Amino acid sequence: MAAPSVLLRRRRTAEPGRGRPAPAGAGRRRPSRSEQLTGWGFVTPGVAIILLFGAVPIVWSAVMSFQRNNLLTGNTPFVGLRNYRLMLHDPVVAQAVEHTFVYTALFVPGTMIVGLFLAVAMNRKIRFISVYRTAAYATMAISTISEAIVFIWLFDPSYGVINYFLSLLGIPQQQFLNDPSQALYVIVAMTIWGWTGFSVVIYLAALQGVPQMLVDAAAVDGASKWTTFRRVTLPLLSPASLFLAVWLTINALQLFDEVYLSTQGGPLNATTVLVYYLYDQAFQNFNFGYASAIAYFLFLIILVVTAIQFRVGRRFTHYRS
Amino acid sequence: MRTHWLSLAAASCVVALGLAACGSDASNGGSGGGTSISIWEGWTGAEAKTFAHLVSVYQKQNPGTTISSLFVNNDNTLQKVLTAVRGGSPPDIAYLYGSWAPNVAQIPQVVNLTKVVQRPGVNWNDFWVGERDVATVNGRVIGIPALVDNLAVVYNKTLFAQAHLPVPTASWTWQQFVSDAAKLTNPAKKQFGTAYVTPGSEDTVWHWEVLLWEAGGQILKPGNKQAAFDSPAGLMALNTIRQMAVADHSMYLDPTDSAYANLFNSGKLGMLVTGPWDLSGFPNVQYGVQIMPSFPGTTGGHQTISGPDNWVIFNNGAAHTAAAEKFLLWLTAPAQVKYWSLHTGDLPTRHSVTTQGFLSAMNKALPGVDTFVTNLGNVHQARPQTATYPKVSQILGTMIVSVLLGKSQPQAALTSAAQQVNQALASSNG
Repeated sequence: MAAPSVLLRRRRTAEPGRGRPAPAGAGRRRPSRSEQLTGWGFVTPGVAIILLFGAVPIVWSAVMSFQRNNLLTGNTPFVGLRNYRLMLHDPVVAQAVEHTFVYTALFVPGTMIVGLFLAVAMNRKIRFISVYRTAAYATMAISTISEAIVFIWLFDPSYGVINYFLSLLGIPQQQFLNDPSQALYVIVAMTIWGWTGFSVVIYLAALQGVPQMLVDAAAVDGASKWTTFRRVTLPLLSPASLFLAVWLTINALQLFDEVYLSTQGGPLNATTVLVYYLYDQAFQNFNFGYASAIAYFLFLIILVVTAIQFRVGRRFTHYRS
Repeated sequence: MRTHWLSLAAASCVVALGLAACGSDASNGGSGGGTSISIWEGWTGAEAKTFAHLVSVYQKQNPGTTISSLFVNNDNTLQKVLTAVRGGSPPDIAYLYGSWAPNVAQIPQVVNLTKVVQRPGVNWNDFWVGERDVATVNGRVIGIPALVDNLAVVYNKTLFAQAHLPVPTASWTWQQFVSDAAKLTNPAKKQFGTAYVTPGSEDTVWHWEVLLWEAGGQILKPGNKQAAFDSPAGLMALNTIRQMAVADHSMYLDPTDSAYANLFNSGKLGMLVTGPWDLSGFPNVQYGVQIMPSFPGTTGGHQTISGPDNWVIFNNGAAHTAAAEKFLLWLTAPAQVKYWSLHTGDLPTRHSVTTQGFLSAMNKALPGVDTFVTNLGNVHQARPQTATYPKVSQILGTMIVSVLLGKSQPQAALTSAAQQVNQALASSNG
């Protein structure tokens, strides 16, 4: 995976004393003006595309969040903070925030624990190991729509396999997606399954980076297998864990596909998360101004949560030099 | 640094100008001689083939006009049209869902077709009243009907025979429907009398609206400023479906809106309220089709609801508009409507083509579709044409689902929903 290494490099350069690029040493010269222009020439198309399709919409939606805007008419009166004030008094927004946080709090640790468990189990030389590893990653290759259809049938109250197994254990029929108190957990199960492959791959890569020397040394010191795992392996996996925590959290806060495909926010708003509500406001109700305000609210949440994660994570993250 | 920013800005401008130039080139098409009109449509399969054929026939008859059609997923068309309108290059014609009509009417570039459909030979009243209602917003015609459907009851003949039940007749009642559903339910076989879609979306809502109308009720009061569904009729409609879902457990609730069709095709459902689009998905069962049951003793009689879609023209100059109007009037003329239905199985958008020979020809290709065609005559009203309808629909969806899941009592749900709807209508008007 390229992503974690990029992140780790970034993290390293942020350390004191290492943040500044190396001073121009002997033999290096300042690039000439024409070289600089050539350089800009090469990157300009990329920069232009990013500005056009990234920066412009971001700024535009910020502007829209202060307007009453249905995108239909040219009439877009400026309403100041009205959309943001509306949000504070909208009960569905409060519900959506709660659902989003509950979902994130279950999905992120769930995916990491299942992924770590599978990665440790597969970090050994046994027969057909590559088959197992491929199988674990296959969940990432499966399209969300197929995943949703499979889970809809697995969790069908009348015809689903899950209720069949529960009945074997003497547990009465559950309503799952028909039950406002259970639907969100079905979505959690669905997405953990879908994302496990990703965390397995990250953890497998990190596990291969744990030096055998340290594990052996712990064994020589008389540490049990569990102690070795907890005291040696797990700390060495912490950069991967931090990366996963941040990455999965950002994804979790932006949950949409699975909700759209399986419950459409129902039953009775039980699975309405922020992005789904935003979509609903923008494309079903044509309240683009209000939807933009929700988007900025979500952006703020992600910003704060990620900042906390980095701050807290730094304390528990060990980087080998 | 300044130089960098300058060169960056300059380069960006060049790129931006280039894109803009490309855009305007594409939208104008060939400017020499004839007119080129662009159409955004979402036809697939047989519909795409038939559409392409009709376009080629038209182009042969009108060598001056070039028609370029672009496939756009129907669900996304309005979104894309809005972007194109803002960019100054909307298509000349777009296929847009009827439920968007009140919102589409607000787009300044939408061409007013009120006078166009009154031209001699168009015979506007030949289109079904449900279609005309949806194409008209505040007295202004904003589209020409492109596709029409309606809801009727599809039933499994085998399951009716097994339960020793007579099949539904055209004079049946909701009482019979409820009692049949109970008798068709068999928990041991995991078999349900009927099903209802419960995501709380418009699909949940429009099924219920038929019952409301049949019971003699209305969704909103005339003028669309206040709720009217909190009425004895509304209560009767809610109680009827609640009886099956909560008391009899004869109704399979489908929160995903995707399971019910497969269940019917697997012989697990006795009856299903659905539209003609599902018929081709039932090859494994012997099915029959009947119009919606009625509530005896009410003024409503047998009704149904229709979700017609429109062809909408956007103003790209007089020449384009004229060419687009001419093409659409040709495309929706009786001969082409007939050809379209016979080749796609879609219901005819015009009344006059539904001769006996036509019906039996359609039915041969898709058994049961003739009942859906004649059922178009039972479309007496349309959903309220207000831009706030999506909000109204969401409130009604929540109300229906909460009753079906046994989370609230019908009268309380009606009262609360009516309050919310009144509030939504008041804030949108203010």
